[in-house]
Amino acid sequence: MLKVEDLHVRVAAREILSGVDLTIGSGEVHAIMGPNGSGKSTLAQVLAGREDYEVTAGRALFAGEDLLAMAPEQRARAGLFLAFQYPIEIPGVNNAYLLKAALNAQRQARGEQPSDAFEFMKLIKTKMELMQIPKDFLNRSVNQGFSGGEKKRNEVLQMLLLEPKLAVLDETDSGLDVDAMKIVAAGVNSLRSPHRSMLLVTHYERLLELIVPDRVHVLAGGRIRRSGGPELARELDARGYEWVQTEAARS
Amino acid sequence: MSVTTLERALAAERDSLPGSAASRPARAAALAELGAVGLPTTRRENWRYTDLEPLTKIEFDFTPRAPDAAAIRAAAHALAAHAIPDDGRRLVLVDGHVAPELCTLDARAGIEVRDVDAYRTRPAAKPGREIAAADHPLAALNSAYVQSGAWLRVADGVRLEEPLRLVLVASGAPLSAPQPRVVVELGRGAELAIVQHFIDAADADGWVNVVTEVEQAADSRLKLYRVQQHGRRQVHTSLLTVDLAARASASLGLVDLGGRLVRNDVDVRLREPGAAVELFGLLLAGEGQHVDDHTRIDHLAPDTRSDEAFRGVIGRRGRGVFNGKVVVHPGAHGIDARQSNDNLLLSEQAEIDTKPELEIYSDDVKCAHGSTVGELDAEHLFYLRSRGVDEAQAREILTGAFVAVVLERIASPELRAEVADAAAACLRAVGETAR
Repeated sequence: MLKVEDLHVRVAAREILSGVDLTIGSGEVHAIMGPNGSGKSTLAQVLAGREDYEVTAGRALFAGEDLLAMAPEQRARAGLFLAFQYPIEIPGVNNAYLLKAALNAQRQARGEQPSDAFEFMKLIKTKMELMQIPKDFLNRSVNQGFSGGEKKRNEVLQMLLLEPKLAVLDETDSGLDVDAMKIVAAGVNSLRSPHRSMLLVTHYERLLELIVPDRVHVLAGGRIRRSGGPELARELDARGYEWVQTEAARS
Repeated sequence: MSVTTLERALAAERDSLPGSAASRPARAAALAELGAVGLPTTRRENWRYTDLEPLTKIEFDFTPRAPDAAAIRAAAHALAAHAIPDDGRRLVLVDGHVAPELCTLDARAGIEVRDVDAYRTRPAAKPGREIAAADHPLAALNSAYVQSGAWLRVADGVRLEEPLRLVLVASGAPLSAPQPRVVVELGRGAELAIVQHFIDAADADGWVNVVTEVEQAADSRLKLYRVQQHGRRQVHTSLLTVDLAARASASLGLVDLGGRLVRNDVDVRLREPGAAVELFGLLLAGEGQHVDDHTRIDHLAPDTRSDEAFRGVIGRRGRGVFNGKVVVHPGAHGIDARQSNDNLLLSEQAEIDTKPELEIYSDDVKCAHGSTVGELDAEHLFYLRSRGVDEAQAREILTGAFVAVVLERIASPELRAEVADAAAACLRAVGETAR
């Protein structure tokens, strides 16, 4: 589904990623962990197509296509979804409008009929229930006046509606209390399927107790330093990140 | 100041002023005042950014005739083209003349309608209330040449919920320069909502110079939304004066979507305690458009409130001007005055000049003001694009959202949607939401 090879990325002349290799197969859930400033969020943003980042070397293939050559909206229409670490507020654009525009942009790209109001309401209703989002939410401006947890749940709601092939969740667990994290995890787990891959970017192991990944990678100093199964996350939780960095420096 | 074509023409017409015989002295006096102060030039601080000089070289017709059958048909077509509802409360002026054929407002509506000459020669006319030519020279031009205009009165205690549609149509007759005037008087406790539409019946060079005077008695409530949708060859200058007595309140909205050269002046006088005004505006200016909003709010009495918010969207080489003055007079304590002006520039050539001015001569005043100028937020654009919305549509959505925030102030959802639709169509035409 996703194949990243030797990816080098700069932001304002500073190299953040220095040769990332990552392959995620169809139906797999991978987690990327790492200390603050290791480049985790940069990787997520670059995959989604943020323009402030300069890719200086390497490539990324998404379902066989050159991901880095695509505009952000093309990536989304091809089935990539980024759940933002800091979902932004957009005053004046209501949630229903954004959700419909996003859904129909993707349907149009697939040559399908746009969703009408009736079908849209039917689609969104059960997903809102799953994410425990109140009904008045649809008529409110995107993320405006939402708590941190509500913003994250809204990201997952969008993901549930758009049903991406590859979901990249950038620290969707940060700032969530235990109950909110359970809701988010339930939403994410409901989407797991043999045809859908996921990349969870997280700082803590807690989320990975609820969404158990197939593979865990440690990103430090702009590179993946270590990969393993779910037990690696528990090891990191117990030992911290320092030993990975030390080990990497030694080798 | 040089003797211009316009001034020569005005001098020549001194003996042929229109209107009733009774109105002639007032018209002649206005013309004399205009002669004394002259048309505003960019040397006046209030007119620094808006140059009328090119207009003085054009031989405008300040006394367009009342519309004939063909003009009425063209106006009817324009009303339909702009989808202005005819819900039995419509009053239409064509080139400043009331066009009875197009009006559906009748006596049952609770509004008394007469012409402006009747207003000016009424027995109860209070001298000194007239607009000073020194402050507003263009109002003097209007006073000299005003056509029938419309004098609207709502009696004490009469409350009208459905909005009155007051449509001012420019016929598009050659170099027509109508001088429409609307006078609105609200009695004690009266309530009225007006949508004042400005539209063109033909795409032609012209100049509409309108004056709207509002006088509100104690405890009256007014909503007045002004939607200007002239064509790109029309010049539009306007003055709106609103005088509020005790506890009277007004919500005034200025929405400018069209026109080539547009200048709006708004003067609000909070004359007695408890008076309150909400003043908001939306200005769209694209290629070849210059739109200038100058507002002034005078807090003359204690415990008066003003809440002002203007937004501008400027595309291509459009130009916008906002100048908002708030004056708190001596002895006016317990004042709450807010003002904001936010502008969105859609291109690198687009220009906005914004200036809030506060003059405070009293203590115990709560004032807040601020202005911003910016482009569409790159984070917002990326967020929408990351959801599959293409860049052009994302820009359109965000520009629409910027506009929606100020239109929220239109209380009625139906009217708000109507104005938002007109603005959206215009934004697409100004369009250049793409760079």
